[in-house]
Parts: sequence; structure tokens; C-alpha cells
Amino acid sequence: MKVLVINNDGGGFADYMDVEPNTTVATLFGQVTKSSRAEDYLIRVNRQPCAADQILQDGDRISFTPTKIEGAAS
Amino acid sequence: MLFLRDFGPTEVGGFGISSANDLLLVEDIELVHQACSAVHVTFHDESVADYFDRQVDAGHTPAQCGRIWLHTHPGNCPLPSSTDEDTFARVFGKTDWALMFILARDGATYARIRANTGPGVQQELSVVVDYRAPFAASSESDWEKEYLANVHDAALNTKDTTVKDRDKSRSDRFDEWDESDFCDPLLQTQLRGY
Repeated sequence: MKVLVINNDGGGFADYMDVEPNTTVATLFGQVTKSSRAEDYLIRVNRQPCAADQILQDGDRISFTPTKIEGAAS
Repeated sequence: MLFLRDFGPTEVGGFGISSANDLLLVEDIELVHQACSAVHVTFHDESVADYFDRQVDAGHTPAQCGRIWLHTHPGNCPLPSSTDEDTFARVFGKTDWALMFILARDGATYARIRANTGPGVQQELSVVVDYRAPFAASSESDWEKEYLANVHDAALNTKDTTVKDRDKSRSDRFDEWDESDFCDPLLQTQLRGY
């Protein structure tokens, strides 16, 4: 099945990916970001926050976007 | 960016949106919801995710919309703080390249690009306005709307309160020029701060 993945890491892409049935969000996160720090990302499915064990459905839209972006004066 | 810096008293930040043909040519700036103070700015995570969704829907790649992080500094020093460096490393250190741009109150700028592939390299860049590229007319009313919709006063600790709301709230609570107040000698002393 196909899902749309928005990933800002590495070269970054927003494209459809083929994933196996019963793939969870956590599995896809590991495949796409190569990161073990899920807390550094806001992970959403169809624009809604999701659980790590949520099983992806055909046509889902998954985004991995950065969190805690902050700046301060010197 | 100058308009955004000068519109309110706080820091303000956003993402640069690059030309598809030249990723170092910033064609637009977009704000996200952010909690700001005079010396700090924090983006709201949900708003960052919404921003990426909008940009992808608009046909932009993450390389065009998620690599250039811009913010202002309230003083005259554009050099990055330790907080800036932490964010640049933690958030933007996972992309193949990223650029941090800081605009200080007096117009001084700082820009540094980092390439995260291979051994990694960082280089400070000069910043210029490229008038050779076509650009749209200024639209201060639209910029103002964007600012008021996204920049939130951290002192009030609420996502739904903008700087404009804060100013209105202050004026609702107290009018410095109310005639009866103005005639109160004690209050005049308090207003002057001595």
C-alpha cells in the first residue's frame, strides 16, 4: 500500500512510499529518519498526533517534523 | 524581516522559503505560531507541522521550506546565543544542509550555513538583497495580519493571545491618560517611575 510521507531529515522529501500492510508509525519512523529520538519529532498521521503503534492505512499522510525550535538573544 | 522585527517589541522567527532554482535565494518568509518575549522565541510544534503540510501542498520540497531558520535579536548583536546553537545543532543538524539567519535590531545580520553530509562543514555567509530576481510589491497589511496571527506574548503564557491582544488588554485595564488619573499626583509619580 502507499502512504504519503513528509520528512525533513537528510535531503528531505514529500513523496509516496510503498509500505507493507500492518506497518506501524514507529516502524516507518525508524525507516525514514534513522533516528532513535522520537521525542525530537512531532509525528502526525493525517495531520493528527498519533500513537507509535498506530497501524498505517493505505493513503495515510505521515509527517515527521522538528520540535522545540527556539532562539534567544545572546 | 525588517517589518516583522520592528512591528513588535519581541523577538520573532520564521522559515525562509527558497527559490527552487537557488536554495540560498529566499523568496518568502513565513511565520508559525510562536511564543515570544524580548529575548526569546519558541515555535509551536503543531504549527511547525502545519507549516510543512501547507508548503508540501503548495508544491514546495522540504529543502525549499525547511532549511533556512530566521529570527531576530532585540539588541545590536546578531551573533547566535547558546540556545540558537543548540537548536541549530539539534533540529537542523539532521538535514543535509541548513542555514541560520539572525537579524539584530540595528540591522546587523548573521548567517551561517552548515553542511551535514560527510565530515560536515560550516561557513558564515554575507547577506544581500538580490534585486535582480523578480519580487512582488510589499504588502504591509498582509505582513501585519501574519504577525498578529502568529506572534504570541510569552509573558501571558497563552497561545491564543497575540501581542495586539496584550496591548488591548493593557489599555483596557488602565489608561495612562485618563484625566482623573492624570490629576492624581501619586499616580503621576508612579507612572514616571520615581
